[in-house]
Amino acid sequence: MDDEFNYSADDAERETIRVWRTWRTVFEMLQDRGYEVTDEEVKIELDEFKSKYVGEKGYPSREKLKIQARPTEAMKAKYTPLPSPSNRDPQPDCGTIYIEFCPDDSGIGTKQVRTFNHTVDEGNFHTGVFITKTPISPSAVRLLSGIPGRICEHFQEQDLLVNITRHELVPKHVLLSPEEKGKLLQRYRLKESQLPRIQVSDPVARYLGLRRGQVVKIIRKSETAGRYASYRWVI
Amino acid sequence: MSSAKPILKTSIPSMHAASARQSNTSPPTSKPSSARRSPLKPKQKPSKPQTDPRHLAIALHHAHRIQAQKNAQDLILDRILELLTIPSSPSADPAAPSAEDAHKFKAALVPFQPADYDNLIQERNIEGLCGYGLCPHEHRQENSRGAFRITWGARGSGPRGRGREMNIVPKEQYEMWCSDECAERAMYIRVQLAAEPVWERRADDLRGEELLLLEEGRSGKGKSAMRDPTSVQEVLGQLDNLHMDTTPEPSAVADEISRLSVRDDARSRELAMERGDQNPALQGGRVNVNIQEKTNVGQVTAPEMRAGDERGGSIEGYMPNES
Repeated sequence: MDDEFNYSADDAERETIRVWRTWRTVFEMLQDRGYEVTDEEVKIELDEFKSKYVGEKGYPSREKLKIQARPTEAMKAKYTPLPSPSNRDPQPDCGTIYIEFCPDDSGIGTKQVRTFNHTVDEGNFHTGVFITKTPISPSAVRLLSGIPGRICEHFQEQDLLVNITRHELVPKHVLLSPEEKGKLLQRYRLKESQLPRIQVSDPVARYLGLRRGQVVKIIRKSETAGRYASYRWVI
Repeated sequence: MSSAKPILKTSIPSMHAASARQSNTSPPTSKPSSARRSPLKPKQKPSKPQTDPRHLAIALHHAHRIQAQKNAQDLILDRILELLTIPSSPSADPAAPSAEDAHKFKAALVPFQPADYDNLIQERNIEGLCGYGLCPHEHRQENSRGAFRITWGARGSGPRGRGREMNIVPKEQYEMWCSDECAERAMYIRVQLAAEPVWERRADDLRGEELLLLEEGRSGKGKSAMRDPTSVQEVLGQLDNLHMDTTPEPSAVADEISRLSVRDDARSRELAMERGDQNPALQGGRVNVNIQEKTNVGQVTAPEMRAGDERGGSIEGYMPNES
């Protein structure tokens, strides 16, 4: 009996640590994308996390794990398209982001995704991020990406256990604003289709929430040149 | 292919180069034929680049096809969500579904591929239902930790009619259904679905259009040899006959080849139909083929032996200098 209790307590502890690490990565992700988050939120300690989000049984209660964040001015500037004759005063194509952890343990299908879509639609959020413990069904993925005018992303908790962009082998990815992109293309006399490419499904592209048509600058260390920058067009 | 015709451009930069050059030289009121000018004219600074109508038509054609694909995928997703709600009554019998449900089920499955059908089964299982669309029961749940499960068939189903047939089934597959009968019914539908996606099917392709439920197939309604699983041997026999009948004589093959021509309008229309090209810009095929016969061919003579040829020193008639 005592052993069994210990086993379940261990299990709860492990689960809490996993969710805590995911939680921290999510905030780092928001910060890297350019949303307004405070340093205390990003560097939350395990004890504080436990006191806030752990239920009576020692397991984390995922229903409480919900985040809303607004974009910073810098991010808005990056997401504002260049003015064109037809649109002289373009608005930034970004807005409040909403993040939700799915409390269900297994079998996540269209039902949960429909509820999530409804929440995103009702709160009039620009972007939604749905985080689940297990993979979701193919139809659910299609349903998630199907809201017109809104962007919904999906991550699995295990994808966010560690922050991949902090790994020493992952170079720094910087998103270019439309203005910087125009300058780059002019400097090298290129069409955007002549740039090297990166897929939207690339792990770093998913982390940064890149969209088709954007250009990302990749800065890596070079033994001979010190630093080497290359550019990728997101497809 | 003469130099006055646009060359087929395949790489993206060369396509850009070609369209830029042609659009610079074409006047604002350009007809499709005006694009076929020499691309080697001196460049003028254009005020605004004009789009070549032919390129525009082809781009639009492909855009419409992609849109049609997306619409079809959305339709399939809607159908999956719809099929989660049937059967309408919780006491429905999967062996004898109501006519309304059966009709709805069969009509909804027409655009499905087998993979979409698998998604439907998965969605139903997530909802806690049996994978077969017309079954209102819950799917089986195994409490044991094993990854596989042994199932036994009916008495006398074993080898040579003795004992029972034994199957080892992965747990996930076993848990998809409420019973083995439902598994059979669902798989009976699955094998009837057309493998190619709905946007690539031809209008006259009836495969996957008329689905039969297992009970209907068993009762002999729609007794076509293709659909009856008991008559595989029969079908195979027919296939053999088919091969024997259609093997043409060598002379017939030669005839057929001589009748083949690139500039056959009826055939190219048929080909366009098969590819789904309804666009007038693509009516004559995607590439302009212009065959030019040489008009003044001189007297043709067989090659002769020349001095030095017997020593094998010449390369296609060219004699290298011996130093």
